[in-house]
Amino acid sequence: MTKLGARLCCYGVAASTAIRDRTAYAGNFSASMLTYGLFVFIFSRVWSGAYESQSTIAGYTRSMVVWYFIIAEITSFGFGRYFWNLARDVKSGQVAYLLARPYDFVGYHYAERVGGSFVDAAIILAEGLAIGLLLAGPLPAAVEGGSLMAGFGRAGLLALSLVLAGSLNFYLQFALALTAFWLEENDALYWIFQKFALIVGTLIPIEFLPEQAARAALWTPFPYLSYAPARIFVAFSWAEAGSLLARQAIWVVLAMLLARFVFALGSRRVALNGG
Amino acid sequence: MEGVQRPGRLRAYARFLGLAFAVNVKSVLEYRVNFLVQFFGMMLNNAAFAAFWAVIIGRAGAVGGYGFTDVMFVWGLVSTSFGLAHVLAGNVRMLGKIVMEGGLDVYLLQPKDVMVNLLASRTVVSAWGDFVYGFIVLALLPGTDLARLALFCALALPGALIFAATFAAAESLAFFMGNAQAIASALSEFMLSFSLYPEGVFGKGYRWIMYSLVPSAFVAFVPLRIYRAMDWRFVPLLWAIALVYAALSYALFQAGLKRYESGNRVDTRI
Repeated sequence: MTKLGARLCCYGVAASTAIRDRTAYAGNFSASMLTYGLFVFIFSRVWSGAYESQSTIAGYTRSMVVWYFIIAEITSFGFGRYFWNLARDVKSGQVAYLLARPYDFVGYHYAERVGGSFVDAAIILAEGLAIGLLLAGPLPAAVEGGSLMAGFGRAGLLALSLVLAGSLNFYLQFALALTAFWLEENDALYWIFQKFALIVGTLIPIEFLPEQAARAALWTPFPYLSYAPARIFVAFSWAEAGSLLARQAIWVVLAMLLARFVFALGSRRVALNGG
Repeated sequence: MEGVQRPGRLRAYARFLGLAFAVNVKSVLEYRVNFLVQFFGMMLNNAAFAAFWAVIIGRAGAVGGYGFTDVMFVWGLVSTSFGLAHVLAGNVRMLGKIVMEGGLDVYLLQPKDVMVNLLASRTVVSAWGDFVYGFIVLALLPGTDLARLALFCALALPGALIFAATFAAAESLAFFMGNAQAIASALSEFMLSFSLYPEGVFGKGYRWIMYSLVPSAFVAFVPLRIYRAMDWRFVPLLWAIALVYAALSYALFQAGLKRYESGNRVDTRI
């Protein structure tokens, strides 16, 4: 087996182990499912209140905006919380044991954590679709008509966009978590990141923001965490989906380079004293 | 004789709660950076939702009968009430876990009331940020003066009592069900989430639950009406409702305590 093949095999095993672990303890995810369902219900009511006197806001109907929220929250609930475990490993010194193992630290963690998240994201997606049909009605029509091709295209590109959003979320949270090599308390950095992610594209589509803020937001990674998959789902067109996916991919590469850079610098600060 | 003992007992409890609070404060200030991070982090968390509401109400005019000032008042009041409940009774959402793991033994051996002792023996650091956030919001609202500040405080106190009583009751289900974490956290999540959004967006079919089992109405919707009208007449009624919830929660805890079985765990409180 080539070196690359062995490496991919190692990551594959890590991902499949994480997936089997999540499947075996699927009940542990019930609290997240309940919270997600509650948020979707409440926001569907809030949007009903907001749309009482108008049928569209910033180009979105009520049904579109409820579906938007359902998809946008998948990144938070399905691919959401990598920071805490990673930061805890650094703060507790556990990272020293992990560094000694014969695999690429960043790649292995990506495979293990994002792989495991596929189960969470699939459960949340299924729950979201069921609740959405009840609260918002049929799926929003694609901008380019309702052909079978557009339907499959939308589903496929949505899945791809969610994976890219999960990857971007992982690498950004990884880079933030590893600042614990320098800062004893780095929770505040994560909170700031989380709030920006929430406002810029998760709770509301960026078209709702004031024009200048929306334009500025497009130059940050935040819209590509939630806005991109949600926009592809509620207003699908091949051209816009392609553009969003390309930008997502660029941000994933940039975030991965950042994560590797922070790791390379931070891991030099680990002092091993036996034991 | 009973009448003579009672003021003494109340004084002893007031002194005990004061000391428990002072110890908790010392404990959180031991890790100052952590305290400041969580304090300001929680305020930032709340402020993010203010931005959300500013955008929505800017676009829609009003939502469920609430304008921006109403939403901000509710967020401020609920933050302060929720924060105060967790500052003074920090163990309120750990209660079920403590019961489930048999950690109640250490409190049973001490002379003070088990529930009061347990709840007051911890403070939640991030809740300090919630507590202060409400006052900052109030200061920024138009027309705030001393009378409105006094009313805000008079509404926040029963709110804190209702939050603590509801969360404690939900957690006390652990006495009867064993692992009741899922249902307790669901009830707590419902209580908080319903409180933070306009009453009008929930249909009449749902509202009855907010005036009974999940009493969000008494920590947010009713106080908003009182505050809008600056009408002090309903404040004593709100206090009475809060005391009823506290009494029910206490009774549920005491009923559960009779079913408690020691885990023979060796614990110390330092």
